[in-house]
Amino acid sequence: MDTFGLKIIASDKVFYEGRCRKLIIPAPDGEKGILANHENMVIAIVVGTAKVQLAGEDEWKDLAVGSGFAEIVNNRVTLLVDTAERPEDIDVRRAKEQQERAEEQMRQKQSIQEYYHTQASLARAMNRLRVAKDKRWSGL
Amino acid sequence: MANIREIQSRINSVKDTMKITNAMYMISSSKLTHAKKKLADTEPYFYALQGEISRILRHLPNLRHSYFARREHIPQDQRKIGSIVVTADKGLAGAYNHNIVKLEEEILSKPGIHKLFIVGELGRHYFAKRGVEIDTNFQYTVQKPTMHRARDISGVLLDQFEKGELDEIYIVYTRMENSVQSEAEVIKLLPLERSSFNEMTMPLNVHRETIELYPSAQAVMDSIVPNYVTGMIYGCLVEAYASEHNARMMAMKSATDSAQSLIHDLSIIYNRARQAAITQEITEVCAGARAQQK
Repeated sequence: MDTFGLKIIASDKVFYEGRCRKLIIPAPDGEKGILANHENMVIAIVVGTAKVQLAGEDEWKDLAVGSGFAEIVNNRVTLLVDTAERPEDIDVRRAKEQQERAEEQMRQKQSIQEYYHTQASLARAMNRLRVAKDKRWSGL
Repeated sequence: MANIREIQSRINSVKDTMKITNAMYMISSSKLTHAKKKLADTEPYFYALQGEISRILRHLPNLRHSYFARREHIPQDQRKIGSIVVTADKGLAGAYNHNIVKLEEEILSKPGIHKLFIVGELGRHYFAKRGVEIDTNFQYTVQKPTMHRARDISGVLLDQFEKGELDEIYIVYTRMENSVQSEAEVIKLLPLERSSFNEMTMPLNVHRETIELYPSAQAVMDSIVPNYVTGMIYGCLVEAYASEHNARMMAMKSATDSAQSLIHDLSIIYNRARQAAITQEITEVCAGARAQQK
């Protein structure tokens, strides 16, 4: 099966660089799948779960990504997101605390801007928890 | 000839000060390595983001977006100009803070309604005395820059820009050129200027690859630009943090060096005074003994 070059750049590090077979990213209106030799495109990414199938592997890997965008040019895909995390790197307890904090703030009266801010924070926390759910120890 | 005890106490006080400056030197140098690593980590993202915007602009030269709006109908002296000023939390860093303040004063001298967003205690104190409008809810420190803080800051600014409370946004920070040189710099954050993304002019006969923007150009720009501004602010904060510690490190190093030379000079004077005192005592003893012999 054909592969394409994938580079995932998060704001604090180059998260991944290598060949990839299939990629699914969360776009604003649903998920979008990318295969090799995709049309040149720039796609906005929202907070959510991205799935990748790397070259030479059959299983799907989940990633928690923050907002950003993906660029596909000449069979090379660059994912520029503000955060990218593997499920095993996610601290479930911290994510849970973040979620609780955001939910508490949501209940309070706040300005529109603060509201969006908390909403984004809540979305990130819930996304982390969702990605980490399949982890063995997440039940604790 | 100075009193021996006075010189002694002077030497001790210089030694004590040297201990402090030396400790600050070490702290700054360890923080600097930390900041440099952070800078290296975030650079790929930062440059890729800039490259991407310039690529999109190149392919879609007619793109219209509110972040490009220059709002030219507003006359010069009515424009609301916001500047983020990144200073240190304290002094003792050579000319670091002074350069930033000087640059900001230049901006303030231009026409327009100015509003300051200050990061760092020292700048806040300085401009509070100057009587310029300062956003008081804007209480961020410069220590340990994080993405979270950059996101907070850019959220505030983008919000005010969209509401029309600000027409232009600048950031004043110190860029680290290399480990010995750093320079205070002003960057225009918003509105985005096409020319700043050094657009390449492409010859007409070259095949232009077309890039489709999904779901729409508007949605993609909405997603990229806030990220770009956040990334830019984060990058500036990290640069400033690294430069601050570099400046403090150098200032403390030279303070330690001059303390050492001061101690050297003082100990020479001290030894001279001590020898003079001994000589005088011997002369006195000898004179006394001779007087008794007679």
